[in-house]
Amino acid sequence: MEMLRLEEVSKRRRNPLGQEVDILRGVSLSLAAGHLQVIIGPSGSGKSTLIRMVNRLDEPCSGRILLGGVNISDLDPLILRGRVAMVLQKPYMFEGTVLDNLQRGFAFRGLPLPGADDPRIASVMELCRLPIDFLPRAARTLSLGQQQRVSLARALATGPELLLLDEPTSSLDRPTGDRLGETLRDICRMGRLTILMVTHDLRLAGRVADRLAFLEDGRILEQGSAEDLLNRPASAELRRFLDTPNEGVE
Amino acid sequence: MEPKGIIDLSMADLALVYGLVLLVIAIARYKGVGQSGAMLWASARMVIQLLGLGYVLHLVFAIRSPAPVLLILLVMGGFAVQTVAARVKVRMPGLYRVVGVSILVGCGGATFFFCTVVVGLTPWYDPRYLIPLAGMIVGNSMTGASLAAERLSAEIRERRDEIETALCLGAPARMAAREALRNAFRAALIPSINAMAAMGLVFIPGMMTGQILSGTEPAIAVKYQIAIMCVITFSVAVTSYLILLQGYRAFFTPAHQLRPVDDR
Repeated sequence: MEMLRLEEVSKRRRNPLGQEVDILRGVSLSLAAGHLQVIIGPSGSGKSTLIRMVNRLDEPCSGRILLGGVNISDLDPLILRGRVAMVLQKPYMFEGTVLDNLQRGFAFRGLPLPGADDPRIASVMELCRLPIDFLPRAARTLSLGQQQRVSLARALATGPELLLLDEPTSSLDRPTGDRLGETLRDICRMGRLTILMVTHDLRLAGRVADRLAFLEDGRILEQGSAEDLLNRPASAELRRFLDTPNEGVE
Repeated sequence: MEPKGIIDLSMADLALVYGLVLLVIAIARYKGVGQSGAMLWASARMVIQLLGLGYVLHLVFAIRSPAPVLLILLVMGGFAVQTVAARVKVRMPGLYRVVGVSILVGCGGATFFFCTVVVGLTPWYDPRYLIPLAGMIVGNSMTGASLAAERLSAEIRERRDEIETALCLGAPARMAAREALRNAFRAALIPSINAMAAMGLVFIPGMMTGQILSGTEPAIAVKYQIAIMCVITFSVAVTSYLILLQGYRAFFTPAHQLRPVDDR
């Protein structure tokens, strides 16, 4: 079943010099429910802009984004963001404990706050491989990797249908990034969640993706299975990107 | 204590004290620490503006008609609107209307309440009371509202990650900007809070000093000072709150999206 469809999505933006530039040019993509789709591409290719449009942190200039067959521009953005959670590149911890952070999504929507003994809290903590005794700890004292996991747990706590991840390993070292990759696979399989992730971390993409798309200069140049794209790139651009040293270990 | 006549200052006395400013300007120039030009310009402006104000007030006091008083209040308000609006560094639809309404409600409401309900001016436009009291209320509110507007811009810029994280978690724009709004409101009120806390201990406030110098009984001057500080605090809080309440919207789209920096 199709969860998400992007149809000819384009975005123009004014650069600091005041010139109109194309960020995305007619991007089309389809994502099946329960799959983990990764979009790879070099820095500045438009990946973050693309993913931000799916929960309406940003708007396309043209094209449509359909969630479960409904154009998201017809949905209330606050309700949409309840269904489509997003974890930003840099984890931001609100002041207070890990539990306070996990309760934020509920508080922002005016929902009753789950306590530490709530099964939803226990479930996301387990899914994100966070020990339950982390709940009373001050969130800002955790390591960056732990904070990224808390961000994930916080996004998952309110039970979204689709999870968006913007460069989740960009600030993590390799072993921590690998562990996060495993967590993401678990979330997708055990949490029966659909995930759309953008990254330039090829190692992570290769380990977790069901499907892969390559975005460069605002265009999707290739898409298919992770194995096909990484082992048998068709375009010269993707071959060049795959050959670029240090991609993904920024 | 019988009120005594005030000791007038002659032009020679004024020239003598202006010599103090010229002295520090000369020292600043000699030592190369800068600010001599700024001090000269500001002190010259002060003299010209105050002399102008003195003549205008003299005239208005003599005419005893509401029209010139209202005109002065209008100029005062217009200047305050312009000053605060200049500090809001965002493209904001209806900026002047928002600032104007906030100042009208905050300062106008406070001045009306104080002059009619508390002091009970007769006639209601008595320029000897209305102009200086409105001046203090508008001036302080203008400073507070400017600080609030400036702080809000900075807070939203600095708290981008926090605000976008909150938006991603389903927060409406106002809730996402809550901390930024709280800090901007605090920035607006800090001068009033500090002034109230230090009053009488660190310094004797201007209005009280003026009243005492002109022969008013200190007990009466104290009561006026307490009253005006309460009114100023009210006015600063209401004006700043109203500006913030409208102002934060300029940073967001109607779809609860934080506008990119280059869109402002």
